[in-house]
Amino acid sequence: MKKPLKSLLLASSVAALLATPVISSANSGVEKLTKNPANWATALGNYSGTRYSKLDQINSKNVKNLQPAWSFSTGVLRGHEGGPLVIGDVIYIHTPFPNTVYALDQATRSVIWEYTPTMDADVTIPVMCCDTVNRGLAYGDGKIFLQQSDTVLTALDAKTGQRIWSVQNGDPKLGMTNTQAPLVVNDKVITGIAGGEFGVRGFLAAYDIKTGELSWKGYSMGPDGDTLIKPGSSTTWENGKVTKLGKNSGTSSWEGDQWKIGGGTTWGWYSYDPDLNLIYYGSGNPSTWNPVQRPGDNKWSMSLWARDADTGEVKWVYQMTPHDEWDFDGINEVVLADQKIGGKTRKTVVHFDRNGFGYTLDRVTGELLVAEKFDKTVNWASHVDLKSGRPQVVSEFSTEQNGEDENTEGVCPAALGSKNQQPVSYSPKTKMFYISANHLCMDYEPFEVSYTAGQPYVGATLTMMPAGGDVLTGKKDGSTNLGQFTAWDATTGKIVWSNKETFSVWSGSVATAGDVVFYGTLEGYLKAVDAKTGKELYKFKTPSGIIGNVNTWSYKGKQYVGVLSGIGGWAGIGIAAGLDSGESDSNSEGLGAVGAYRSLSSFTKLGGVFTVFSLPGK
Amino acid sequence: MSFAKKTKLLLPALALSTLAACQTTEKVNTPEQLNALEKISTTEHPSAPPKSSAAKDIKALEKLKAEKKFRVCADPLNPPYSTKKQDGYENKIAELFAKQLGQEVEYYWFPQRIGFVRNTLKSKIDNSEQYKCDVIMGVPAGFDFTATTNSYYHSTYVLLIAKGRGWDNITIPEQLRSLPLAKQDSLKIAMFDRGPGTAWLQNSGLLEQGVPYQTMTGDHENNTSMMIAKELQAGNIDMVILWGPMAGHIIAQQPDTYKVLPMKSALNMKFDYSMAMGVRYGDKQRKVLLNQLISKNQLAINKILTKYHVPLLPIPAAKKHQDDD
Repeated sequence: MKKPLKSLLLASSVAALLATPVISSANSGVEKLTKNPANWATALGNYSGTRYSKLDQINSKNVKNLQPAWSFSTGVLRGHEGGPLVIGDVIYIHTPFPNTVYALDQATRSVIWEYTPTMDADVTIPVMCCDTVNRGLAYGDGKIFLQQSDTVLTALDAKTGQRIWSVQNGDPKLGMTNTQAPLVVNDKVITGIAGGEFGVRGFLAAYDIKTGELSWKGYSMGPDGDTLIKPGSSTTWENGKVTKLGKNSGTSSWEGDQWKIGGGTTWGWYSYDPDLNLIYYGSGNPSTWNPVQRPGDNKWSMSLWARDADTGEVKWVYQMTPHDEWDFDGINEVVLADQKIGGKTRKTVVHFDRNGFGYTLDRVTGELLVAEKFDKTVNWASHVDLKSGRPQVVSEFSTEQNGEDENTEGVCPAALGSKNQQPVSYSPKTKMFYISANHLCMDYEPFEVSYTAGQPYVGATLTMMPAGGDVLTGKKDGSTNLGQFTAWDATTGKIVWSNKETFSVWSGSVATAGDVVFYGTLEGYLKAVDAKTGKELYKFKTPSGIIGNVNTWSYKGKQYVGVLSGIGGWAGIGIAAGLDSGESDSNSEGLGAVGAYRSLSSFTKLGGVFTVFSLPGK
Repeated sequence: MSFAKKTKLLLPALALSTLAACQTTEKVNTPEQLNALEKISTTEHPSAPPKSSAAKDIKALEKLKAEKKFRVCADPLNPPYSTKKQDGYENKIAELFAKQLGQEVEYYWFPQRIGFVRNTLKSKIDNSEQYKCDVIMGVPAGFDFTATTNSYYHSTYVLLIAKGRGWDNITIPEQLRSLPLAKQDSLKIAMFDRGPGTAWLQNSGLLEQGVPYQTMTGDHENNTSMMIAKELQAGNIDMVILWGPMAGHIIAQQPDTYKVLPMKSALNMKFDYSMAMGVRYGDKQRKVLLNQLISKNQLAINKILTKYHVPLLPIPAAKKHQDDD
């Protein structure tokens, strides 16, 4: 007996509907998109933040034949961080200020639509001082989400570029800015805030994906109502166990009202575990800058967080650098990976901090499992005590203890950190994390006359220089390289291999099933290395220094690799601002980094270009 | 983005001694003589190009004098220094200089935050070799983002106390260190995120009484002296340790409302600073020209500053610990 075709279809689709659990469209949308390796649907490629692609058409054998397929100029100078989103036939790229968004048709390699937000110059210029970068877009619910420099979060129709809604996420007058990529989770858009140098108190905020209405906001410090920490249920790691937090842990380690300008901004990357419904991220350094002025641990600056995606309530929080004296911002990405530790498969998070330690924690409970230096020249702390979770600070390198009347020399890492915001990648095939790293140390010299907003005072100058030591042993070796590209085993906290790089690696890597890892260099090279050994297999010089992240996708059966080049940001600010003449006294303001990066200007000039690579042939 | 300048609380004795080094004070008029002085007061940079001949220098100086514009980098809203209305004292001094050169003042406006020097004095106009502006009218002597001229005034931080709030008997700042505890608890004093005032509070055990403020604001409609004036008026604070010219601005707004007590520099805490003008490193003839104008107009400059209630101290002879190109 034949059933009519129509009713069969109907029946099966109803069954299909009934079989899927009720989850909101946005979430299933994003998750489903990330499951297809043809797309690159979130800034970090997937919710886990692994920046791993299952594509293997380009592999360690044939990558030597890679070649540029096409390129696109963004028309914007300044630093191009972040990377392209790829959803089906369309590539979405973004620029630093003025935050133009381009939707590019992969078939014709032409612009479908472009959108440039209107930002009030008076409002944005004071925040533009810092070479305002933008680290990318988010996609979900048929919309592209742009987090503008002036803190406005804007939803655009992904098909047409029409603005659907905008919401003011912060107040630029208070020094608030935004640089990070948002993340779509369930029916919400998650975003944070930057502006630590203006004393901004950091927060993570969730906005309704349909309307832009604020759903919740959790601060990095302040009373429990602000932090969304629930005493007696939210936990931290101390005394060798997962410990319930008491009342107002976000104010008790601050003097007086100082938590109100306490810093702890949230300008990094966010990841998400759909099963646990938890969002993971890190908070930045405490304000004010002068550590002596803010006695105490300054919680919860410099911390790793797990928050409930629906309510923002804190599941667990762990502070890496209590009472920061070195600017070791804790905002770097938190990668989710299931790994075997001590013979047991654990749901872990892995985080490589500015402070030079690679942390592995249980992502369900926040238990600290591993904390080891991923660059052995790191000397500000001897080790992290796993029981208390606290770093053991070496007094010789404490700027505060030395601050009275002597230079603090040779603190490693420099304030830029052993790793800055450039995200790592993780290959479940090799079980290694690939770290784009800095290899620098710094001196504090309390001699300089500073002048900020019309008041002179004696401040300290920070000078950065090459670490001059072996990344594997820490032994001084007179080396002058400023960067490393390192493979790491997060189950043991050991370096597997590490390549020297002339300059800091300021570009996020991507690892693929073809056993290749791609990253960019400050001189402007796109590089491919063997995922197992680190052997360099391919390089190509793009038009400018690369501080963007390398992403990969496929279109009509062909695998592509794409990256934004365009020097700027912190590493290239001297160049981005056109002042680094290469003379020893062309000092770069608010950086101190320039000495070490001075020779960079002979390699690269300004200008944003998106370059796409593929293998030859159809 | 994080920022790499950190306030140090205490100044090493060594740094103070370099500031107090001697400088020759003979009268100089000609560019050659000024140049000779330059050579005395700056150390040769090992990689510096050979010094150009005096004749070439004179020519370069004449060329500067022949320019049409006197191009200043300035904050559009930073009273008492500069405003877009050009009613700050740095505006007035720029006018004075330009007038003598037969030039017109031209401004490149940019808020004085992080990146001010980078985005003004050292920034080229798009697609050209010309810089956006050539001189910053006020930078501290020994500032290292720019080359600095001779100092043209010297001022100090002061303790500014609102009268009639129970603090009228304070005659020296040190009295705040020995208040009865109950009295100390009622103290509300501004505390900036950086600067010597906060260091002093910390040394005096008064951090708990500090009401925190940011030195730098992201607000283009506000600046530090405006903000502190409002906070004092609102009673959120009763006193503040503030850089002299800013205190002068507040006093000018509301005469007879405040008591002004100068802060005393100690070996490990510096409250008084010399102010100079900033030019690009290597822009040597401009520095020579500005130094000529400063020495010629010192009295007129003092007059302007006095009008703006800037607390003035004698300019100490100071040797710049700077190379000049």
